[in-house]
Amino acid sequence: MPVVSVKEVSKEYKLGKTIVKALQKVSLEVEKGDFVSICGPSGSGKTTLLNIIGCLDKPTEGTVAIIDQAVAGLSDAQLSELRNRSIGFIFQTFNLIPVLTAYENVEYPLWILGKGRKERHKMVLKMLKEVGLLEHKDHKPDELSGGQRQRVAVARALVTMPELVLADEPTANLDSETGGAVLELMRKMNREFSTTFIFSTHDPKIMNYARRIYRLRDGRLINGESEKNNEK
Amino acid sequence: MRNSFFILALRNVFRNKRRTTITFLAIISGMVGLIVFGGFVEYSFWGLRESTIRSELGHIQVYKKGYSEKGITNPSKYLISDFQKLEELLYKIPYVELITARLSFSGLISTGENTLICKGNGVIPEKEARLASFEEIIEGEGLFEEGKEEGVIGCEMQKSLGAKIGDYLTILTTTPSGMMNAVDIKLVGIARSGAKDYDSVFVKLPLSVVQRLSLTTKVEKIVILLDKTEHTEEVAQRLNLLFKEKGLDLELKTWHELAPFYHAVVRLYNGIFRVVKVIIAIIVLFSIANTMTMSIFERVKEIGTLRAIGTKRTGILKLFLWEGFLIGVIGAVLGMITGVLVALGINLCGGIYIPPPPAMTKGYNALILVVPGVLWYSFLSTVVVATISAFYPAMRATRLSIVESLGHN
Repeated sequence: MPVVSVKEVSKEYKLGKTIVKALQKVSLEVEKGDFVSICGPSGSGKTTLLNIIGCLDKPTEGTVAIIDQAVAGLSDAQLSELRNRSIGFIFQTFNLIPVLTAYENVEYPLWILGKGRKERHKMVLKMLKEVGLLEHKDHKPDELSGGQRQRVAVARALVTMPELVLADEPTANLDSETGGAVLELMRKMNREFSTTFIFSTHDPKIMNYARRIYRLRDGRLINGESEKNNEK
Repeated sequence: MRNSFFILALRNVFRNKRRTTITFLAIISGMVGLIVFGGFVEYSFWGLRESTIRSELGHIQVYKKGYSEKGITNPSKYLISDFQKLEELLYKIPYVELITARLSFSGLISTGENTLICKGNGVIPEKEARLASFEEIIEGEGLFEEGKEEGVIGCEMQKSLGAKIGDYLTILTTTPSGMMNAVDIKLVGIARSGAKDYDSVFVKLPLSVVQRLSLTTKVEKIVILLDKTEHTEEVAQRLNLLFKEKGLDLELKTWHELAPFYHAVVRLYNGIFRVVKVIIAIIVLFSIANTMTMSIFERVKEIGTLRAIGTKRTGILKLFLWEGFLIGVIGAVLGMITGVLVALGINLCGGIYIPPPPAMTKGYNALILVVPGVLWYSFLSTVVVATISAFYPAMRATRLSIVESLGHN
């Protein structure tokens, strides 16, 4: 059973009087435990595709199913629950909540999920330990480096044990060494928890971390199929 | 995080300290306005009520049955006999502090050269001194010896008559049987009540002198003063019960019924206070709505992130309503403390001088009463207004598109 199934998805935006075709008839399937990269130059539609897979946006045409559940008929509240329960997000600009500590940022999705205090505490500490930030748990985001912030974001994305984690250019704001470390961390989590990862990048070095690569250009998948990254 | 939205809201309140300070200052100003103006209004009500009660009316007046209805046209038919016996009986009722009697008359007062219309009152001097505590003797002395043919007149009347302390004045009136009768009295005191019209006509004489003048041994009314105004209704009920039990041919009126002017003033002030409250509420409302709108504009990306990781629209709504509520609670507490301090400061400085109101001859220093009811109302209305102010911006935040929010810089 694929974790993600995207069929014939198109997305059009109105930009003034012009209609921009961000995605055109894109179809893909991602299996459980996969580590997939969506590559392409800026403006190729990577973020739009991730937004649609992440139930943050709706396609103009086509269907999307997450863990065998069609998302088209779901209400806003149901989509929120689905994202909270089954999808983790890692953003290019980390997007941590500035007034919360690292611990509280990681704890937040669990609280939304309705987990009890003791369980939350256990899960947050475990996840902060996994990303190597246990001793920074009481630090606010502005007291952490870029790499540390992104590791908090990884912990926040994984703390609810979602089936799928979406990372939109997770290394774009990091130097290459820190970016590599974050990708290593994501791959470790992928192996350890069998979590499916889909990340977008335009950096060839970063895309090499993926097991499978989808290439996008002008809103279309090149050749319509993924490439198997034989190096991995 | 026991309640994430509460914690998030609390921290966001103090996120932009300068903006929060300005919002709190607006709330504090509003609260101080409400507390000081409310306290001033309460003091005015209290002052007017007590001066009305203690300068003339007393808390309760007892008359012969039928006096209220027909006594004005023929007061001599509705006089009370056996005042001393009744006094003994009435003193047994709790909260009664003072019982006195009065007998009024209308007539002329003359120095020989100048003659004026007067409205006289026969009073029991030593008791009247306690009842008329709001009446000020500005020259000479008050009446203090029953039976002596001495009198006190209002300051405006004294000016018109051109009389001096020690002068003899002639008072002319008609007796109940229609005869003319006159008495010479020595002017011993000039008093000021503050009400110009009253000061132009009033004459006070010992009760026994007026009884002699009117050829009667009866009194027109019994005036009862209580320890506290709040006990009026309870004592009135007990009195009515007593009249019924003892078969006394008496009726009573409380100060409420005898002071329509006081109730008109209360209605007027309350109307003004309502307008002030609405104006302050609007200022606070816009101030908080502005803060919340700016806060949402600054946090669009954050709202997008919260929505992306699973927060529902209702969650975002709760978050911003909590923020409005907390701004209201913290601002109201600070405002209440400041308001009380300002009120106490004004009182320590002697109050606010208020010039003589229309038809009055002297101004007064108004104090600010710190009334729990006003504090509670100000606190509650600020919190409610603050929460309502946050509602529209919060609704806007829930309607933001997640994708556009995440892309916002």
